[in-house]
Amino acid sequence: MKGLLIKDIRLMKSQGVLLLAILILAALFLGVVSSDVEPFFVVAYITIFLSIFVASTISYDEYDNGYLFLMTLPTTRKKYINEKYIFGILISIFAWCVGMTAGTALMIAQSAKTGAGEWIGANLIYICIAWVFMSIMMPLRFKFDSEKARYANIIMFALIAAVAYGISRLSQYAPENILRNVSGFFNSLGNNGILALCAVAAAAALLISYICSQRIMAKKEF
Amino acid sequence: MLEINGLVKKYKDFTLNCSMKVERGCITGLVGENGAGKSTTFKAALGLINYDDGNIRLMGKVPSKLTESEKQKIGVTLAESGFSGYLKVKDIVPVMAAMYPDFDKERFMSLCHKFSIPKDKYIKEFSTGMKAKLKVLVAITHGAEFLLLDEPTTGLDVMAREGILNLFRVYMEEDENRSILISSHISTDLEGLCDDIYLIHEGRIILHEEMDTLLNGYGLIKADDVQYGKIDKEHILSVRRTPYGYDCLTDQRQYYRENYPDVVVENGSLDEVITMMTGGKSL
Repeated sequence: MKGLLIKDIRLMKSQGVLLLAILILAALFLGVVSSDVEPFFVVAYITIFLSIFVASTISYDEYDNGYLFLMTLPTTRKKYINEKYIFGILISIFAWCVGMTAGTALMIAQSAKTGAGEWIGANLIYICIAWVFMSIMMPLRFKFDSEKARYANIIMFALIAAVAYGISRLSQYAPENILRNVSGFFNSLGNNGILALCAVAAAAALLISYICSQRIMAKKEF
Repeated sequence: MLEINGLVKKYKDFTLNCSMKVERGCITGLVGENGAGKSTTFKAALGLINYDDGNIRLMGKVPSKLTESEKQKIGVTLAESGFSGYLKVKDIVPVMAAMYPDFDKERFMSLCHKFSIPKDKYIKEFSTGMKAKLKVLVAITHGAEFLLLDEPTTGLDVMAREGILNLFRVYMEEDENRSILISSHISTDLEGLCDDIYLIHEGRIILHEEMDTLLNGYGLIKADDVQYGKIDKEHILSVRRTPYGYDCLTDQRQYYRENYPDVVVENGSLDEVITMMTGGKSL
């Protein structure tokens, strides 16, 4: 697995550096030119977009039937999936650190006054969002080739948006006492509790995604 | 090293039905036209595809059950696949070092230099020949006991091909327990390299022969209609109609030379055997 990780880090160094530079420059440019852009947006933007690079490494592996050869190397299908998820988690942490650095720089430039605890705590949620994105994209990427996976991603995210919209619409018709209880539950959790809940939900999404990816890979014909 | 018994792999328009064996210390060739089933055989032997029937033992185990350390003893080149084109040779070196404990970095780098493979260029920008050479160097520099080489010389010029074939000979001389399974559509490559040869046609093995027997015993009889009518057909493997009469492939060249001195009997070559076995009619 170490060899696969080195391969992906090397791919990221050669292919991801440009993406990283564009993301940072675009984020800072937006922040400086448009004072409406919150430093929080910069962190979210860099964390999520850079984390999605893990799906690109699957495309690079697939390039010119590369999967075939990869599976002849001293690794197994299971370890290949393990490596992709570990790399995904590592890259999301790295992306968050980069995003935090850029966001903090912008915050200082804008003379915004946010407490350190609030700043870090609120931004941690973006790692959770990045993990949810990864959880959806990775099994689809293993299942389909890059072109089909792109459409599958769009359909999946549209489906999630539709479900979220549906729930928000339906909640208007929910009985008052249930809504009060739900609202009360979230209020009682506090910021830290909500963050912990998000972390648990993201970890659960990753776990389900990981199990799906393992099953897809086990059946895959090269 | 490799034993394939009654392997059946069915596709919509193609069925592979294959049995073969690669002995320790031997170089075994697999020849056949494009689409005959060579690459499918390699994929099955490496556990990359599921199959419908039969069994395969690669170094004594079902290929898909090989552990990492067992896979370290195998070197593979595939006709249509290699390291990602988005990597450079200098990226591959640490990957190989991490995956193979016996990876010989110095030898790999010196061979890259010898075969003019650039270290700092993306593989996707390599010529077909450069890619082919790189695949071979990756396969032979980590102390593998068994090489499975699917079309390793495709795209190479004559000089580079000879250089690569010499690497295989050196590889075998270094350890008598090593083995190679190699496929190629360039039959002269295999004639000078292999101990035995399998000919695959439309998914079936139609010939297995020792290379020495094939080169020293097989012959091509060129007979006119009258001569063809008279000759003994017992040792004729395949016949093909020609404008002047018949071409007949035999595995008893000497027999026909001694008994039919007026008939032309040419020495057998792998190319002729392939052509006759796949294009001729068996009696």
